[in-house]
Amino acid sequence: MNRVEFLNELERLLSDMPADERQAAVQYYADYLADAGEENEAETLRELGSPKKVAESIKADYYGTAFDEEKFDHKDYMEKYGRRFEEHGQGAAPDSAQTQNARNGAQGKDPGEEQEDTGEKKEPWTSGWLKLILIALIVIVAGPVAIGIACAVFGLIAGIIALFIGLVIAAIAVMITGIVMVIAGLALIVIPPAAMVVIGIGILLFVLGLMATVGIVKACMVVFPAMLRGFVDLCRRPFHRKAVQ
Amino acid sequence: MVFNTGAALLDAIVLAVVSMEDEGTYGYRITQDVRKVIDVSESTLYPVLRRLQKDECLEVYDRQFDGRNRRYYKVTSRGAVQLNLYKAEWKAYIQKVNAIFEGGVTA
Repeated sequence: MNRVEFLNELERLLSDMPADERQAAVQYYADYLADAGEENEAETLRELGSPKKVAESIKADYYGTAFDEEKFDHKDYMEKYGRRFEEHGQGAAPDSAQTQNARNGAQGKDPGEEQEDTGEKKEPWTSGWLKLILIALIVIVAGPVAIGIACAVFGLIAGIIALFIGLVIAAIAVMITGIVMVIAGLALIVIPPAAMVVIGIGILLFVLGLMATVGIVKACMVVFPAMLRGFVDLCRRPFHRKAVQ
Repeated sequence: MVFNTGAALLDAIVLAVVSMEDEGTYGYRITQDVRKVIDVSESTLYPVLRRLQKDECLEVYDRQFDGRNRRYYKVTSRGAVQLNLYKAEWKAYIQKVNAIFEGGVTA
């Protein structure tokens, strides 16, 4: 394995870390190997160990878990202190436990957070089922009543819409009457006073009808969206409250 | 060395090594300097440097060297305070250990 292969492999192994962490680590080792010099490349790579070991040491520190170097190679320790190590056989176990504690202490919150996460994951599952059962019960019990209420609400809405349509039609009718009266007045031109009265009333009616039409249409534009919004809110409220809980 | 180097001692040694250079120093040299004193593998130092950087005990900057950017590490004021704390702790610690080693047992 050469330098480029080592760095590529390292980058690949760190692919689940945030990009800036990964880049910083790869940059560090690229620097490191460049500073060690090409002539020492093989030796340095041997000293560093496998990319996997290097990646584990980086991740262990980043995620606050214990990194046990002895898992990866016994080389340094065993070569130099093999005999002593055997004498004090138990040495290794308490040691690694201690490092673990120290690391966890330094990064204190991480293990706790993990526990909380799993706890949270579990809870929605049960309460989800409970909610589903409750909803089913509510639907069965309250179904007929709800259908009645829904019918009433739809009836009311339909009534209001019909009322407005009726009002618009009436206003348009008044407008048309006005136009007809103006025409009739023009026909009565042989009797000027009568014609003037009829035309005057016609114009008045037309203007009143126009104002009423515009007013009612404007009222529709205000009332219908408001009604729709109110209706949607009403429908959403029970679900919304559940989501908040 | 037969004695284990704990995380705090390693932090202290790294801070001390970096603080020796006013201009700051770089990863490979830090590793070599630390390895003169304690026996750590070459891959141990990166996580330590990264952590110290995150704790704002070290700051980094890039400087051109040999046609590439080399990352330099420098001790911050906070790192200096931390190093002094470590030094004081260490002094107290070795005094107690020495007292036991050299005089305590005979009592």
